[in-house]
Amino acid sequence: MNLWRLERLRLLRTPRWVALLASYLVFGVGMPLLTRYQQALFRNLGGEVRVIAPEPTPTRSIAAYLSNAMQVGLLVSVLVAAGSLAFDAKPELAAFLRTRSTSMWRLLLPKYATSAVAVAAAYLAGLATAWIGTVALIGSTPLATVPVGGGYGALYLGFAIAVLALAAGLARSVIGAGGIALAVLIAMPIVGQVLPWLEPWLPSTLVGAPTAIADGASAGSFLRAAGVTAVAVPTVLWAAVRLLARREV
Amino acid sequence: MALIQTSSLRKTYGATVALDDVDLRVEAGSIYGLVGPNGAGKSTLIGILGGLRRASSGEVRVDVDRRRMAVMPDTPLFDPWLTAREVVDLARAMVDPVLSEEEVERSLALVGLADVAGRRVGGFSRGMLQRLGIAATIVARPELLVLDEPAAALDPLGRYEVLELVRRLSRQGTVLFSSHILADVQRVCDTVGVLREGRLLYQGPLEALLTERTRPAYLVRVRPPIEPVAEALASQAWARTVEDAGHGVLRVEVSSVPDAERGIAAVLARTDARLVSVEPEAADLESVFLELTT
Repeated sequence: MNLWRLERLRLLRTPRWVALLASYLVFGVGMPLLTRYQQALFRNLGGEVRVIAPEPTPTRSIAAYLSNAMQVGLLVSVLVAAGSLAFDAKPELAAFLRTRSTSMWRLLLPKYATSAVAVAAAYLAGLATAWIGTVALIGSTPLATVPVGGGYGALYLGFAIAVLALAAGLARSVIGAGGIALAVLIAMPIVGQVLPWLEPWLPSTLVGAPTAIADGASAGSFLRAAGVTAVAVPTVLWAAVRLLARREV
Repeated sequence: MALIQTSSLRKTYGATVALDDVDLRVEAGSIYGLVGPNGAGKSTLIGILGGLRRASSGEVRVDVDRRRMAVMPDTPLFDPWLTAREVVDLARAMVDPVLSEEEVERSLALVGLADVAGRRVGGFSRGMLQRLGIAATIVARPELLVLDEPAAALDPLGRYEVLELVRRLSRQGTVLFSSHILADVQRVCDTVGVLREGRLLYQGPLEALLTERTRPAYLVRVRPPIEPVAEALASQAWARTVEDAGHGVLRVEVSSVPDAERGIAAVLARTDARLVSVEPEAADLESVFLELTT
């Protein structure tokens, strides 16, 4: 038994892994279907009102997956990961871990890495499912959408979980830490809209990478945001360690 | 040699003073009982010693490797989906990964949880969690054991067993434990510290506290009528007070033990009393504690 196994067991022995996987797979399966049959659904609604649905395209299908996965999926991911990262929420549990660990890095790293990998894996499983559904029901889309576009998306999720770790250093409770993290993640694309010159550098830009790549964009156009994110993750984790180490239980 | 030493230790939470000028000294090999009413600052002091809280001012010196010191909170809690064995094994792996896994089974057996080692702790009672907390604390054979109210949640038998365990553990190291159950402290500790409102009112050998702080008294039990005996005892120069303690017992507080030892028998003989028993009143920590803290 060690801290890495503890985090694996936390995922596997509780409904956390089901919630995580379901929150992405539901949209991976559902969005290509909805995009493909949206026009037929609206046609069959009947009544006086005529609803015009857009033509189903591979890009729309992938974008529909991302839109939902990065809202509902991200919310579920943050709450699931907060259950592990906000370990000071229960002082007795925190005392067990803190009095036995020689460093906060040793304590935080398994929690962060396991959560980030689990969230990224669920997201990629959903994206791969959405890509397969899109190709089967709507039409071909570049294969790079999944490994390259998905890689960028997974990197963003790794950043999101690092922000959550930092939030856990600011708030003790699961809800408090999750709330702070979500507020930061929601604010980031708004900052990108207010300051357009900053947008290509923001981690939140990576969210749209699979759609853009499916639409023919170059994978290299996201390198600036990926670079910033790759630097931001260890920096944010370092700040989280500092905050958590200073906290009294 | 002092294993734990604090000097002028102070801890405040805003305007509230939790610890005030505490000079704690725990000698190596001792069983130190930290007693005090709820809110006296015991958990705060233990939290500072365990590195969970920071002192506002003063010094803390713990002369033992951090990994050789184990701290148990007053209400241990664990992830409910872990088994008892996994909890103790995690504690072992975190403190000393090279330590044999047999230590896990030894610790579980010591606290009487060997039979439920494979059960998830989510269904454990408060007492079982307390025992599991102790098993997780002792698994790496710590040199210094700091226990916050280790027997508080246990039934009388459980308390007895835990206290006996604490006594046995003290043979391999030093134990500091806090309690508001004075009988527990009196049963196992050799040194005591009395804390009230953040101040250490007394610190020293338990025996010295009991003898220094209590007035010598005798319990004299006679058959009725007891009034003539009470009057005769009260007239003695060495008798400070004589009280009817009920059930035919007279409590005689004395100013001189040698005079009382010689005089009680003579008084009883003079009054032709039918004697049942005479015994010195045992000094107990509770009365000393009340005297110190009220």
